[in-house]
Amino acid sequence: MSQSASLGAVKPAVQERGKRRVSFVKIIVFLFFGILLVTQLYPLVWLLIYSLKTNEEILSGSFFSLPEVLQWSNYTAALGGGSYWKYLYNSAFVTIVTMISIILLAALTAFAITRFRWKYGQFVMLLFLLGMMIPLQATLLPLMLIFKNMNILNTHLSLILPYIAFQTPIAVFILSGFMRTIPTEIEESAIVDGAGVLRIFSSIVLPVSVPPIMTVCILAFINIWNEYILAATFISSEKLKTLPFGVYSFVSQYSVNYGAIGAFLVLGALPVVIIYFLLAEKITKGMVAGAVKG
Amino acid sequence: MKVLKVSSWTIAAFVLPCLLLYVSLVFAPILVSVYNGMLDWNGIGVSKFVGLANFNKMLTNDSLFWPAVGRTFLLAGFSMAIQLPIALFVAILISRFVRRTGFLVSSYFLPVILSVAVIGQLWKTIYNPASMGGMINQILIKFGLESWTHSWLTEPKIAIYAIIVVGLWQYLGYHILIQFTGIQNIPADIYEAAKIDGASGLKADLYVTLPLIVPIFKISVVLSFIGSLQSFDLIMVMTGGGPAHATDVTASYMYNMSFLSMKYGYGSAIASFLVVVCLAATLLINLLFNRLDKRFS
Repeated sequence: MSQSASLGAVKPAVQERGKRRVSFVKIIVFLFFGILLVTQLYPLVWLLIYSLKTNEEILSGSFFSLPEVLQWSNYTAALGGGSYWKYLYNSAFVTIVTMISIILLAALTAFAITRFRWKYGQFVMLLFLLGMMIPLQATLLPLMLIFKNMNILNTHLSLILPYIAFQTPIAVFILSGFMRTIPTEIEESAIVDGAGVLRIFSSIVLPVSVPPIMTVCILAFINIWNEYILAATFISSEKLKTLPFGVYSFVSQYSVNYGAIGAFLVLGALPVVIIYFLLAEKITKGMVAGAVKG
Repeated sequence: MKVLKVSSWTIAAFVLPCLLLYVSLVFAPILVSVYNGMLDWNGIGVSKFVGLANFNKMLTNDSLFWPAVGRTFLLAGFSMAIQLPIALFVAILISRFVRRTGFLVSSYFLPVILSVAVIGQLWKTIYNPASMGGMINQILIKFGLESWTHSWLTEPKIAIYAIIVVGLWQYLGYHILIQFTGIQNIPADIYEAAKIDGASGLKADLYVTLPLIVPIFKISVVLSFIGSLQSFDLIMVMTGGGPAHATDVTASYMYNMSFLSMKYGYGSAIASFLVVVCLAATLLINLLFNRLDKRFS
């Protein structure tokens, strides 16, 4: 600071020019940020406008114009024609059940790997790590055959089971990474106090593990809520479809009612967008943590 | 370190529920896939064991297989050559010029959290012919570039690029975020030290940020590569691999063979191939970056 000040006193002209150059660069950079912002967000804004236009307005070719009258009827058509609320309920049900199961199962496993004295902890961990590299698609066909034999094809269970299985590796990884850092003194004193293993798990380890559990929840939520291919492969009844698959079916059914399609797409995106608005920072942090640790 | 000495029953009770579910739904299917790959089977009738015939046909005598594999690598190539450098560039600019980064970063990130089903349908609408309200073609017509208009998703030569654009668009924010976080985690005193040594601004980015971001950049590379290998939900939503297999990648080809052509054996062979490539690619990328890491430190 002091150095630049003294420089400024000696050569004010140079500093002036430097300043102007910096602000010029700044303008270019922020222009670039702005353009990127438009490319990333405009398609979504365009969809919102599109969803409020009449078919004539959409087809007229004036892509930039706002609708003359906001066509909320598109939304009524979308909500009336498709089973939006049913899809939403199914997605919520599948996601919540999966999330709770993942947390329970992964926390138990991570606890055993990091806190118990046994030989095969590392081996189990390795197994989970290996699983992170296995592409989900490769299991589609065998899973379908297995579920067909178990008679659970076309039930929510056929989604929940593989969703749990595919989210556990990252969950175990994140949770055990955290649990390893919990000081063992806490457990030692708990043992002295006569607490059992289950008690140590449920009233000491689990409560302090809330932050990584949140991360696991966010990752699981984004992945499962948005999952399309398993849902489209294993589910066939209308009343069991989850939202992404529902969006797809609605669009193929109402292929000429453009406004209603737009409205349904907006409605399909809405739940996750609302949650993102509320928890943006937590979600971005969680997704990075998931990526970095994965 | 570990203090809890417990009976093996307790260990089993803690680990087995998770492990069994995981092994039976992730590992077992892969093994089943490899075995099914040796069958000639349509899923309903009697299966016939044909040994490595499916694998042999897939690798040497299938005019659709290698082009699909090629497109998979095309996806990965575009992502690594365009998306990741842009993301790194943007991440550096943000950390250098923006004080309150939250809004910008989370806005760029927004497309990432949307379902492929929504994104795919949205872009299908954007790519529609002008007469069906498609945005891109309408813009082109407006600017008098009618000859540039295309039926983006049904012309075999350009359809795959139209899809690649969507993939690049959707996940750009993810890579920006990952690399931005990486830059944020570089300790400030390293920059201070660099400044004393006469490296600030662009120079500091070149000599400090780039080498130190390598481990994080690796994560982006792995994600983009694995993502491309597996990325087929977007393709299934937008084109289903068509027109005439012109947008098929390995995974979508596998899906179409298994579930539409009902060639369970052949589909399983392709699935096994996919697993092997995924494992090999992850190992290879890690190996390469370990070398790179050593060179820089």
